[in-house]
Amino acid sequence: MSVTDPAVATPKRGKVRAGRPSAVWALPAVLFFTFFAIVPMALAFYLSFTKWDGLGDPKPVGLANWQKLLDDPRLTQSLTLTVLLTAASWAFQTVVALLLGVWAAGRQRNRAVLSAIFFVPFLLSSTAISVLFYALLDPNFGIIQKDTLGSSSGAFLAIVFVGGWQFIPFHTLIYQGGARQIPQVLYQAAAIDGAGRYRQFFSITLPQLRHTITTSTVLIVVGSLTYFETVLILTKGGPGTDTAILPYLMYEAGFKTYDFGYASAIASALVLAATGLSLLLVRLTGFGGMRSTREGM
Amino acid sequence: MSHDTLPRPTATDKRPERPAGRPNRRRRHWTRRANPLAGLGSAVWLVIVLVPIYAMLSASLTSQDKSLTGNPLKPPTDPTLDNYNTVLNSGFGHLLSNTVIVAVTVVGIVLGLCVPLAYVAVRTRTRWSGAAFRLFLLGVAIPAQAVVVPLYLLIAKLDLYDSLLAVILPTAAFAMPVSVLVLTGTLRDISEDLYEAMALDGASPLRMLFQLTIPLAKGGISTVVIYAALQAWNGFLFPLIFTQSDEPRVLTLGLFNYVSQFGVNIPALLASVVLSGIPIFAVYLVARRALIGGLMGVGGK
Amino acid sequence: MESNRGRSTGTGGAIGTGGTAFSRRWVLGAGASALLTTGLSACGSGEGSGGGGGTITAFVYGDDAVKVQQAAVDRFNKSAASKTAKGKVKLEKIPGSDYLPKLRTAMGSPSAPDVFFNWGGGSIKAYQAADKVVDLTDIIENDPVLKNGFLPSVLAAGDLKGRHYGIPMRGMQPVILFYNKSVFAEQKLQPPTTWDELLDINTKLKKAKITPFALGGSDVWPELMWLEYLVDRIGGPEVFKRIQDGDAEGWGDPAVLKAAEMVKELIDDGAFGSKFTSVSYVNGGAPAVFAKGKAAMHLMGSWEYSTQLGKFPDFAKSNLGWAAFPEIEDGVGDVRNVVGNPTNYWSINPRTQNKDAAIAFLKDCASEAYAKDLVALGDVPTTSNAAALLSSAPNPEYAKFQYDMVEQAPAFTLSWDQALGDELGTKMHTEIGKLFTGKSSPSQFVSACKGLK
Repeated sequence: MSVTDPAVATPKRGKVRAGRPSAVWALPAVLFFTFFAIVPMALAFYLSFTKWDGLGDPKPVGLANWQKLLDDPRLTQSLTLTVLLTAASWAFQTVVALLLGVWAAGRQRNRAVLSAIFFVPFLLSSTAISVLFYALLDPNFGIIQKDTLGSSSGAFLAIVFVGGWQFIPFHTLIYQGGARQIPQVLYQAAAIDGAGRYRQFFSITLPQLRHTITTSTVLIVVGSLTYFETVLILTKGGPGTDTAILPYLMYEAGFKTYDFGYASAIASALVLAATGLSLLLVRLTGFGGMRSTREGM
Repeated sequence: MSHDTLPRPTATDKRPERPAGRPNRRRRHWTRRANPLAGLGSAVWLVIVLVPIYAMLSASLTSQDKSLTGNPLKPPTDPTLDNYNTVLNSGFGHLLSNTVIVAVTVVGIVLGLCVPLAYVAVRTRTRWSGAAFRLFLLGVAIPAQAVVVPLYLLIAKLDLYDSLLAVILPTAAFAMPVSVLVLTGTLRDISEDLYEAMALDGASPLRMLFQLTIPLAKGGISTVVIYAALQAWNGFLFPLIFTQSDEPRVLTLGLFNYVSQFGVNIPALLASVVLSGIPIFAVYLVARRALIGGLMGVGGK
Repeated sequence: MESNRGRSTGTGGAIGTGGTAFSRRWVLGAGASALLTTGLSACGSGEGSGGGGGTITAFVYGDDAVKVQQAAVDRFNKSAASKTAKGKVKLEKIPGSDYLPKLRTAMGSPSAPDVFFNWGGGSIKAYQAADKVVDLTDIIENDPVLKNGFLPSVLAAGDLKGRHYGIPMRGMQPVILFYNKSVFAEQKLQPPTTWDELLDINTKLKKAKITPFALGGSDVWPELMWLEYLVDRIGGPEVFKRIQDGDAEGWGDPAVLKAAEMVKELIDDGAFGSKFTSVSYVNGGAPAVFAKGKAAMHLMGSWEYSTQLGKFPDFAKSNLGWAAFPEIEDGVGDVRNVVGNPTNYWSINPRTQNKDAAIAFLKDCASEAYAKDLVALGDVPTTSNAAALLSSAPNPEYAKFQYDMVEQAPAFTLSWDQALGDELGTKMHTEIGKLFTGKSSPSQFVSACKGLK
């Protein structure tokens, strides 16, 4: 995905060159980022070939952790859960946010007021919202006095719901921005031709929002791969192991069984998956060809 | 924005003949759709948004003993601010100040590093600046969780464990990829001609940065500020793993601990959630347009 | 907000100019001053473990009982011993749900604690293997205060391969069957002494729409207590001892399968109610369910008394009853056997900068003042002077009951998760969680446990 500049004909005459900053200016950022992000990533990959419990020194064990990764039934379950969660989150958030966004794009005053209210959940942090729902869903002292979080489907749906409750406002904004950009003339033309409301929605609104849907989808998908605090606070991966998505499995391997080598193997696999998925999505949708904000909205 | 050809309605569609005297007002604005279904949908969503918020506020004003027997949905008979006192006396202020420090410092580091980088990437198209840029693109795909363990090693070796810096530095690093992308995009929109004009006046790159680039890039910069600040404010994983004692604890971790500390003292727990939302809510009230505009800037790519 | 990573290729300049000018200088200035303050405070907070004969840090499990430890710290810091050792103690209370991971990460970092709370035995096996815990055997041998200060069986219970690594610092913690006296009185029930009686009580309670047992299922270790007692009553302490010694085939003992089956019967029968999977002990959920009469009984460690005293004092003082776990007919385990934690221990980090202060501080745990504080909390100390102090307990009957229970027990099995150590313990927890939520059948549970290595 190269976002390099479209060629601007700059005459490379001495006088104009004088005004350009040297590459040294970029050095602090590069060094900082390399040290705190790239190096750890490489280290994680290295650790995946060792056995380490946090107390002694890492011991090289070759491919043992990777072999374990392939054999581990919990990994399959975790992977399936992660995919399911991502798909469910996407469906829930996209449908609701798209409809709300298009609706909010209208200029009626009450819609503006309501949009402001709808935005409030976004002001709370992910942790705060998870704590909120953990309290409200307490089976003995909460709102619904049923064991929601104790059943597999209940726990799973709770996570999807909490994620949606938090992020739908944000995606609504994106869709709202996108919908506002659609030229009215398209709707007028369609109306003159007799297309009804639903026809207009499917024939005009949706296609026009294609780029926005892509943006939103990429954000949701990459984000779902990293849902962590919600699972930790609401279900601790339970009941049993029924909501132990990949990031949680990694946390458990590392910080509960102290098998940091194995946790690093999972982490490396996660990064490969995230990168692969992002690249795929980008290529499939021609995303990388976009140049400026306006296109996505 | 690509204007695809629309599926044109075919001739077999009916074209309603409009009676001559009837005004065509209904079709003037596509936005004026009195849509009962959408109205219902938005009402449903309104309930979904408001009920938890209401329950949170109502429960936070109930006293603890009543909450153990009653239903949180009923408004409290004797509202009390005791729960808020309890939370404030449990070190909440300290959590808040720590989080503010983290947010401000992270924003400072991100801006301080990314603006020059974007400037170089856009203005100096050498092999190195291109490579640096691609490095950050790679960084977008690295989820923070994957590197927590090695980061922990690094932080321990630097003897930064259990300090605010242990939270600040990695958070800033992980906020950089998106910030670089946003800033590069913004800076790219600044026309070369303006730079040329300043160059003709003999301006140094530094002067151009401060007098031309930054003022024109305010939109992108505010997006980055908001993005980085929110990353810092909401960050949980790094504080969880890299800190443990009371001193460097931030708001999110504090809330997590309150779950064990207050447990089924749900009013106190919810009071802490309310308090945690107040600072951002205040920012929202004061700078709503900037906040939303900035967020649209992040998402709308 | 980790989901908001987007591929942003730039802002069309017209957005976001709502009047707020983020002057770069302002931001830089604020950032710099924040960095300075942070840097200064970071330097300060990193100094946990004594910089050369200075303050030492002690980690403790952060529950209601920490007041005793805090009092000990305050006492020590004012004492002459502190001056001689040139050091004070700083107590760090780590929330229970997070204690083990926090200890592990802290011990791996330069700011590791000097003194740390643990359960002895398997819980410190990894630390001992990595040389992160001081062998105290000789120190105890040569110091009369320490040597004679504690009940020998308790001191030995925390050993690894016959060597002492910790000083007892909490009360004894056998697992006891607690019950709600007023509910029992209303329903005209007596605490069960045999399993059949227990099942009978369950039926009667359910008819009265009361959940028989409170259970903090989401933490999993409360569920473990059931298995521990059942296995012990059915097959005797040797069953687990074999597993503890490293033989994973020990899980195949018929007693384990029978215990798992009995658990399943209880669950299917509604003995724990329908919500226990998401109820937690650590955050006060299960104690609240018990105290409020929603459940009539609670199988829990003896600290349940001090927890209730702290959270629901009226209940603790007038309605809290206790009994031993019932006998199982045709089981071979002695009904006097006990499971639980003999006590908790404080161990010393060999990297400490002030070992003298650490040892001097730990001697306070053998003192009468310390024991008296424990007694006042409702716990029974494991010190040699414990028996004499019991009459001043807030509930002397309860104290005596506990003390006699432990003293007369032919066997005291350490909690399985502590005995097995972190790695195996966590995996075992997962399997137990699956058993109790019905994800694994009893036989699946057994074969999964056999695979725990």
